[in-house]
Amino acid sequence: MVRDNRHTYRPRPAKVIKIIDEAPGIKTFRLRFEMQKDRKRFSFLPGQFGLFSLMGIGEATFSMCSPPRQKDIEISVRNVGDVTNAMFSMQKGDVIGVRGPYGKGFPVGDIKGKDIVIVAGGIGFPPLASAVEYIIQRRKNYGKVYVYYGVHAPEDIVYRYKKERWLKSGIKIFTTVEKKTGGWRGPVGLVTDGLKKLKLADVQNAAGLSCGPPIMLKFVSQELRTLGLEPDSIFLSLERLMQCGIGKCGHCNIGNKYVCRDGPVFSLSELRYMQEDVW
Amino acid sequence: MPQQPINNIGILMAHDSYYLLKKEDVQGFLDALSSKMSVYAPVKSEGQFNFSKLGKKQKIGLEGYINTEFPPKGLLMPEGETLVKYEGSTICEVFSSEKRAIFGIRPCDVHAILVLDRVMLGHGDIEEHYEARRKNTLILAMNCTEAGENCFCGSLGTDTLTEGFDLLFTDEGSHYHVEVGSAEGGRLIKASARLFSATSRKAKRPKLVFKKHIQTEGLEDAMKRAAKSSIWEKTAERCLSCGSCTAACPTCYCFSLPHHVDITKMDRGKITREADYCMLLRFSRVAGNNVFREHRADRLKQFFYHKLVYGKENEGKMHCVGCGRCITECMAHIDITEEAAKVMRKYGKR
Repeated sequence: MVRDNRHTYRPRPAKVIKIIDEAPGIKTFRLRFEMQKDRKRFSFLPGQFGLFSLMGIGEATFSMCSPPRQKDIEISVRNVGDVTNAMFSMQKGDVIGVRGPYGKGFPVGDIKGKDIVIVAGGIGFPPLASAVEYIIQRRKNYGKVYVYYGVHAPEDIVYRYKKERWLKSGIKIFTTVEKKTGGWRGPVGLVTDGLKKLKLADVQNAAGLSCGPPIMLKFVSQELRTLGLEPDSIFLSLERLMQCGIGKCGHCNIGNKYVCRDGPVFSLSELRYMQEDVW
Repeated sequence: MPQQPINNIGILMAHDSYYLLKKEDVQGFLDALSSKMSVYAPVKSEGQFNFSKLGKKQKIGLEGYINTEFPPKGLLMPEGETLVKYEGSTICEVFSSEKRAIFGIRPCDVHAILVLDRVMLGHGDIEEHYEARRKNTLILAMNCTEAGENCFCGSLGTDTLTEGFDLLFTDEGSHYHVEVGSAEGGRLIKASARLFSATSRKAKRPKLVFKKHIQTEGLEDAMKRAAKSSIWEKTAERCLSCGSCTAACPTCYCFSLPHHVDITKMDRGKITREADYCMLLRFSRVAGNNVFREHRADRLKQFFYHKLVYGKENEGKMHCVGCGRCITECMAHIDITEEAAKVMRKYGKR
């Protein structure tokens, strides 16, 4: 990863070129760097993140949901804080500051040839969506791909427009809602319920990727272990407060680790050696 | 462990050159220095010494100086410093170019700066604002003649210096012994050559007597065994979560990057750096109000473990330098040496 080190905190301007209303309180922003060199510099792997700023309001951390090496980058945002709230009043053509990419993403290279179990919870989906898109671009390099997606209620489901394309690429999608509303006919319960029914042909040749609320990650990792996956084949993307993105400001510390620098993606075996509670 | 040598900054060449400087000539030396760069020195105000920029010909008075109330980290990461300025769509990053010398900085605090160097300049990512200030800063350190009430650097080996200074002053009564620690330090002596007389002997350092001690042998392992100990819960009952320990600590570097709008011209503003403290509840709070270190004991633990365990694991150098400021400033009388002793009693190998 090449990073321009001459400027530590200066955000690079990117224009909002599309806004997708995903669900109540969730929007996806498609961004295009105004400068060609920034576009080239921002090459990332699924699971890496950027720091997105609205000058005068603040900066927030999002993992990209678009695949790497695409002209534009996409982030999906839930309106929960000051920055996201301000983002929700943005229009096409507005400018947002971007710096990064930072951190360690999912080891998409190391898990080639394996069956992939992806478990997403709520707004933890974006980095995993990037991984799915990455896999689809290199579909032959990977085995079976299962996507387990858990949301609170049917109306919270995002990326509906991706579903058909993913299914066509042989991605198996299982969506679970906690609370049934409207005409929902799918499963109701926890995302881990579906996982319990999964039968993998060869657990030694499978990897799990997950992102979601801490409590979900805890149970997902237990469930993936029950399925027979090894701790070093389970990769979880953690959330922490991040401000600098380069392992200096200390907000994202878990024990002696910096989630921004050493993560945000950790293998379960790495997490076992954390010197502070992870969830 | 530092992943790369910190060139030109952390590791200065040792020079075997010693000089003597009469105490009455210190003022002349600092005056000469002030004409070339900003000079920061301990200045007494309201009964406490703190680093302050010397005015032209400002008289220096070190009577009763043991150490500064606040550590010198504020000179390298000033509170509220502007990092980024913007106006409309023009965004630029701002760097300090002030050339300065810090005079009278104690060995423990020099060790603390060496720790900060490893954090801010190490791990393959350079924090350029720190770097800009650091490379323009000369360290004119001064050995101690007396240990303070809460000092325990004697237990950590941070009471002496073999690196990290440009000049090292040792009070020998009527004069200072001055050791040159870098080429830049040598040039300072040369520039005021008539004030210094060369000597071939090393400094005569007085033996310091400490009231506080910390046992370092086996401490890391004992701390690891104490990770789930009730010690932390018990101490946290007294802790006020005020953050004084972290504010006073010379190696606590955590910070926030708030945005500020110029309310007279709304498209203009800045991003600043403000110290932030892991003792505060909001430190780990993310949007949506999830707080990752919600319990006071967890926050207190983070401080103690960072100082005594994590720092050594990450930077190869313990982050506690034994200055004792966290003990002095704690309103609840929490004492890191006592906490470490408790851990050793209960979890140390006998």
